[in-house]
Order: sequence, then C-alpha cells, then structure tokens
Amino acid sequence: MTIHSQEAYQPVPDSEDSSVLLDVRGLRTQFDTADGVVRAVNDVTFAVRPGQILGIVGESGSGKSVTARSILRMVRPPGRTTAGEVVYRGQDLLALSEKEMRELRGREIAMVFQDPQSALNPVMTVGDQIAEALIVHGVNKNKARERARELLGQVGIPDVDRRLDDYPHQFSGGMRQRVVIAVALASSPSLLIADEPTTALDVTIQAQILGLLGKLRDELGIAVIMITHDMGVVAEMCDEVVVMYGGRVMEHGPVEVIFEHPELPYTADLLAAMPRIDEHSAGRRLPSIPGAPPDPAHLPTGCPFHPRCRLSESICEQEVPALLPRSDPRHLAACHVTQRGVEIPPLVPAAASAGARRGRDSAPLLEITDLRVDVAADRRGLLRRPEPIYAVDRVSLTVSSGETLGLVGESGCGKSTLARAIVGINHPASGTIRVGDHLVGSKEQAGAKALRETVQYVFQDPYASLNPRRTIRQSLEEALAVRGVPAAERATEAVALLERVGLHERHLDRYPYAFSGGQRQRVGIARALAARPKLLVCDEPVSALDVSIQAQIINLLESLRDEFNLGYLFIAHDLSVVRHLSDRVAVMYLGAFVEYGDAEAVYNSPQHPYTAALLASSPIPDTAERTRERIVLGGDLPSPKNPPSGCRFRTRCPIGPLAHPERTICIEQPPPLAPTSTGQVAACHFAGELARVGAVV
Amino acid sequence: MTKPVPAPPRAPRRRPRGGAWARYARALRTPRGITATVLLLVLVALALLAPVLWPGGYDEQTRDALAPPSAEHWLGTDEFGRDILTRTIYGLRTDLSLILTAVPVSLVIGTLLGLSGYLSSWFGSLMQRVLDIILGFPGLILGIIIVLVIGPGWTALFFAIVIAGLPGFGRLARGGLLSEQQREYVLAARTLGVNKSTVMVRHILPNVVDPLLVQASIYMVVAIFIEAGLSIVGLGINPPKPSLGAMLNVGARYVETLPSYVLGPGAVLLLLALAFTLLSDALNQAATRR
Repeated sequence: MTIHSQEAYQPVPDSEDSSVLLDVRGLRTQFDTADGVVRAVNDVTFAVRPGQILGIVGESGSGKSVTARSILRMVRPPGRTTAGEVVYRGQDLLALSEKEMRELRGREIAMVFQDPQSALNPVMTVGDQIAEALIVHGVNKNKARERARELLGQVGIPDVDRRLDDYPHQFSGGMRQRVVIAVALASSPSLLIADEPTTALDVTIQAQILGLLGKLRDELGIAVIMITHDMGVVAEMCDEVVVMYGGRVMEHGPVEVIFEHPELPYTADLLAAMPRIDEHSAGRRLPSIPGAPPDPAHLPTGCPFHPRCRLSESICEQEVPALLPRSDPRHLAACHVTQRGVEIPPLVPAAASAGARRGRDSAPLLEITDLRVDVAADRRGLLRRPEPIYAVDRVSLTVSSGETLGLVGESGCGKSTLARAIVGINHPASGTIRVGDHLVGSKEQAGAKALRETVQYVFQDPYASLNPRRTIRQSLEEALAVRGVPAAERATEAVALLERVGLHERHLDRYPYAFSGGQRQRVGIARALAARPKLLVCDEPVSALDVSIQAQIINLLESLRDEFNLGYLFIAHDLSVVRHLSDRVAVMYLGAFVEYGDAEAVYNSPQHPYTAALLASSPIPDTAERTRERIVLGGDLPSPKNPPSGCRFRTRCPIGPLAHPERTICIEQPPPLAPTSTGQVAACHFAGELARVGAVV
Repeated sequence: MTKPVPAPPRAPRRRPRGGAWARYARALRTPRGITATVLLLVLVALALLAPVLWPGGYDEQTRDALAPPSAEHWLGTDEFGRDILTRTIYGLRTDLSLILTAVPVSLVIGTLLGLSGYLSSWFGSLMQRVLDIILGFPGLILGIIIVLVIGPGWTALFFAIVIAGLPGFGRLARGGLLSEQQREYVLAARTLGVNKSTVMVRHILPNVVDPLLVQASIYMVVAIFIEAGLSIVGLGINPPKPSLGAMLNVGARYVETLPSYVLGPGAVLLLLALAFTLLSDALNQAATRR
C-alpha cells in the first residue's frame, strides 16, 4: 500500500461519481481571535450519498458544528473558511455568489438546529413560518399554506388544521422540533443537516424524532448529516460515521465496522467508557479516558489526542497522523500506532478503592413518606393565591448509608423538585421528610444545622453552581467555615478536599472560568463534601459533561461513596448511568413513582409500561441492537397542573385505554404502587405486560 | 483513589482577573473610560477651584450689562453685568454638588428598597408597588410637588432627584435579586448553611451591582436635566445663585442678542452629560463582558 499525504488522499475513490451528493474535501475553517488563530475545522474530508445518514460525532470543541456551518457558509466572522471544496451535485458551494448560495440554502440543503425553542419565531404562527420558507423560494401564498398543512402532517403533528395557526409556545419541545423539521423540509431539500437535533429532548421524545428522521429518509430519500455527541444515536441511526477530535476527522467509515472494530484509540476508549444500559456493571469502575477534550485555541502538536492516549509514542507528538484506509478500504483512521497493525488493548478500569467500606445500615438516612410539594406556593403574591400545582405528589422513599437510589424520569416529572425539597429549598405541602434523626419542618430553611450536617447537594450545571467571582479557595473555605473549621486549618483542609476529588493545590486560587466542565463538577463535589454530609443528593451531575469526562465523574462519585459510606440519591435522565451506579431505582412520571425496586429487577423485567418504554427508547451504542423491539411512546408529558384522571400515564400508555378501549379501569382508578411478581413495586393495573419487550438483558 | 487528572491545555483567556475593583479600574482604562475620567476630572477641578480662580464670586458686577464676548469677559456679561463664564463655572459647581450627592443617595436607597424582598417576599412586593406609584408621576410633576412642599432651592432639587431615581434603581435591584436567588451557586451556599446576610453580601450583591452602577451613571445625566428642567420653569436654584439650568432659562431670552449666554452653560452641560454617558458605556462594557 502506498502512503498518501493527507491532502492528496481522496476517501471517495471516484468522487466525480454522480452517486455522491455532497463531497467535502480538505475543508478548513478558522477563527481569528485576540488569542490567536483558532483552527476549528482542520482539513476535513467526507462525502454523503443520496438517502444516506452520515453521523458526525465528537465532543465539545471538536469542530463538528462549525463543519456543518461551513458547508452552508453560515460561519460568522471572525470565522472564515480558508481552504477546501464543498462540492454539491458537481458545484463548489464555496465558489458560489452570496445570492446563489441563498437560493440553495433551504431549497437544496436545509438545516435543523439543536434548540427548537430559539429556532422558531415566537410571534409567528407555525403555519406562517413553514409557508415563509416556501414563499421566499417563490411559491404563491395559497399553495404554500396547503404545503405547510401537508408537511405538518408528514412530521406527525396531530390535528393539523387546528394547529396550523398556533404559535410556537403552544407546542411542547418535541412538537416544536417536528415543526422545525417541517420548516426544513418545506422545499423538499435533498440534504438535511441536523445539528444535535435531539440533545435538548427527553428519551421518549428523542425516540420519536429519530424515528421521524429515519422515516423521512426511507420515504423521501433525503440524505441526512447528523451531528451528535451521542454514540447511541449514531449506532441506531447512521450508515456511516465521521469521528472528529480537535477539529480533524480522526476516523471515518461504515457504522458497523467502526463499532465492531475501531482503529482509533479515542473511539475505542470512548465506547468502553460509556456505561451500558444492557449490561450489569454495578460494583466495578468504568474504564475512563484521562484529561479533557483540548481547547481548540491551544491544540497539542501532532495528533490532537496524544496527551490523553494510552498508546501514544514520540511520533504522535510530532506528526499529525494521516487518515488512511484500514483492512476494510471503506474504513479510514488517523493513527500512527494502529496503522502499523498494533491492536488496541481493551481499556482496563481502575481498580475499585481498596478500603471499600460500603455496607448498608439498617437505619435509613433519608425517609420520605407521602410527600407532596406545591410549586405554586412560591408564586403567591400580595393578592394572589394560585391553585396548587403538585410537582411531587405522594412520594415515599428511603435511602440508607452506602446505598444509591437512582431516580429517573423525563424533564418536568418533578425529580428536581423532590431533590430540592430534601435539602429545604422547596417546602413540603404535606407528608414528611426525615433526614437522619431529624424530622424536617414544613417551613425549615435550607442550610439549617440538622439538615446541612446530613445532606448536601451536587448541582447539574457545573458552570452555574460556582460563583464566577469567587476563587475555588473562597468557595471551599466558605463551606468549611460553616462547618466550624478554625480559620487556620481551612487552607490545609481545602487542599485535602481538592486532592480527594482529583484536583491539585495549584488550582486553589483560580476562578471558575479557568476550569473545564469536569473540573468544575469536581469542585462542586468537593464543596458538598466540605460539610461532611452522610447523604449526597446528586441532581444530574454528569448530564452537562462531555462523554469522555462522564466516566471520570461517575468513578469519583462511586469511590467517594465506598470510602465514606455515603448514601446517594442520584437523579438522571440517562438510564445507563443510573443502572451503573444504583442499588435501587425509582421511576418517576408526572410527580409520582410508577415503579420502584432493586435496579436489577427493574432493568431486567420492567413491570410498568412507562419503564419498559424508557428502556426501549434509550439508544444503545451497539449496532447489533438496531433490531431490538421498540416501544415508541406517542404524545407528551401532560401538565402537572391538571394530571389525567385515574392512571396518570394513561394518555400515553401503549397498553392502556388508547390501545385497549375496554380498559376503563385506567381512567377510573389510579393504580396503587403494588408489589409485583418480580419483587419491585409498580403502579399499573396491568403490570408486567410489557416486561419482555422493555427488558434489556 | 482517583488519579489527579492532567490539566487540559487551557487558553490564557482574556477574562477579568481579580475582584470587582480591578474590573472597574480596567473599565476606566478603555478609550471611553479615559475620556470620561479626564473630562470629569477637569470639570470637577474647575468647580472646586472656582473660588480660587474667580475670587470675586459669581456676584461681581461691572458697568456693562449684556456686553458681548471680549478678552476680559470671554462669554460676555449677563443682564446685571456679571461675567457669564464665572457664573457658568459656579453653576457647574452647584450642579455637581447636587448630582454627586443626590444620585448616590438615590442609588443606595433604591437598591435597599429593591433588595428588601430578600427579607420577606410580601414586603418586597409592597415596596415595588410603592416604587410603581413614584413611577406614575412624570419627573417634572414630581419635582413641582416636592418644591411646593419644601420650597424652591438646593434641598428641593436634591429630594426631587433622589425620589425620581428610586424606581429605576429599585426595579433593577429587584430583577437582579430575583434572578440571583435562583442561581445554583446561591442555592449551593444556602444548602451549605451559609448565613443569610453573608449570602447577600458575597453572592448576590456583587452580581447585581454592575447594572446598578451603569444605571447610576446614566441617571447622573438625567439628574442634570431634572435640575435644568425645574430651573427653566423657575422652581430650581434661587437667584442670585447660579445653576446651569437657571442660566439657560434666563439666557434663552437673549439668545438673539447674546448667543454666548446660552452657549456657555449649554456646552458645559453637554460636556458633563457626555462624560457620564461615556462612563456608563465603559462600565457597561466591563459589566457585560464576563
């Protein structure tokens, strides 16, 4: 085999082939900033064929979104595309005039953005917005409206005639994303670029949208470039995948080949570091990639991944590896080491800490009985007494030391409200919360002595949970001062805390902006530990982090739990993370638990149809799982303001009155949380019916 | 034990280092900040040194009334034969003494009213309704009412400026309070048990103070015009004491015969407004670029 230089190599052997729809060659986009030139996209080459779904996967700063924008020439100054070709149907888009480009955007290539909230104009009806997309390309008004109606039907909006004149705020998040897709489809483009189209959505809604994109490809033959950070989405949806890191394409090839036999240590390690929903991994550490994704302004020399790579050699520091074909000629990878035929050894997890003292106590640390939380109570004004809204409605649970209770549910189901009630930020309307030996009063403020000494909170967003104006030292010493640590000892204790969470003394006097997301989350955990709590409430602690960082934080939480025998209430929407960490799991829907029991029982034989649907909707990063049976829930989460009568889940239930009209009991009687044959409790009149489909064994 | 993670190569970001003071100091080193500071320093120095530079005071009369500009009287003399330039500088002295005292007082009281919701939410709402009532009166009407109660003069202007500024400061402070209270770092401090006043001083106040300072420098300009407005209708500073507004009021009568009568005080007023506008711009830039 001859070694080509990267510039000369064409991954599509016959790129003049008419079967290629979009051919991107040697694309470079850079940003000229005050800190110097940031090469966000560096020599990116790939091709898309009609009807193909190409995934571009990468972590934050990998250049995947800038690549998409560069294709459409939508990079804003100071960004500019400096080299390369973007050939669409034989035409170089980079050479077109601005006017020709405008014609092409939307009509030939359309884009779907991540946040459906901001992609739609709030003061225009959705019908008008779709029609606008047509009118700008010269369709007359009545025709445009007719087509808008047709498109809304096509993307699965129910009751189109009525909803055509609704405004975006009248739609839920998932419905809005459907509208955005309808706008993009308006003039029947041949290529759809979707930039993280499901990241802002819940799993059951994500499953709907992914299903829709697949259907559009099958029915309309549209090619899709799907930009995502989620390997599971790639495995389920894409035909080919491009793995980006540090602005470069590092691996490229058919999805099955790459998932089966990655030739890039980064891809291999990333796949290994993700907890699997279909795998019993509790009790052992996750293998993890050290460090954090590089800052695009300060890329390492040579291979961008070499500082974090376990196979790195001296050549990796000096020379950028070329993207070259492997045993399967469709599979390209850029790695000096595997190019020589070196096999990537499996990533070995760090051993669990030796002094694991984890053992359950009989006395629960946290005991909640029949809790209701009224979130409208805080909105009471001078003359206003709003109707109560119970975001948490009659929930009971216990957590003992050394034990993790996982809490899963979609956004808006009340899991954060429940968590915040435990630490006293929200107040219970009825029911009791007992923390240790202390019965929390109904008006007790957050931070009361008995509370703070037992329970602490780890927040979701590491960017928002640290005061930007205070150094890490100030944040930690404040927490230590509250515990009564004498001023003289605070500095040493702060260092000890930082080192315990894997940071260093030199980080003490820095401000939060100097840290990456993962490091900030470590600081947040250190701050919570400063109070020496027995119970940590973790509210989605890893969901804002890059995939390669998540495993680090999960491992940290696990080792802390084992070392200090902490109890965790671990909240997440990612079911695989919850499975990995939890001893027991509670599934929450619209303010109430629908299923509650040992993690293994719940995951192996989900008794409630909602649990089964959640499990079946979660994308699994394994192409072999593509064929598994799906339960795609229709509809959206109803508002907790007026929950449905009887069973709360009946409006979306695949085995409820929607599918079986004779099951009126679901409308008439709320099902109690009752023990099931497999050991957990579930609130369903027909528990166990979907267990087989949902089970992920 | 988890291994210490190698620090990722981070950019030395162009981000504010150090505390709030360092940030404001940096704001003043921008071109706008420098212009504003120099302009303000010159104006304040002139006002402070007026008794030294013009020892005769603003009341010294000559024979010539309404004399045109000359080497002796750069801006001419007024209807009583007093030097207009001298009176302009003394007028500036009056105005600066007003706004540099009244605006900070208004800032402090307004902020306290706005933050009062931290103690109890119904008290906070009540204070907002009080501020709404103040907001219901146009500035001039409000000024007239105060003058009717206190009688015209420096004190009445002082109170007019203080009161008219409260709604602006109060609402900004409350907006900041409401959003800061929901911030995760504020919730984190509360959960840790940091006491309420410390949370306010350390976590809430520093994060609401930026827009308030910008508002204060904008309000300095408004305050000058409140003084001028009330003086123009004759409810401001009592003669013979000069103020920029009062001089404009009288000078307008002679605008055809002696244009320098209004041009002098008008130019100083403009310079003052310009200085505060530039200052607020500079502060705003420093405050939003975080």
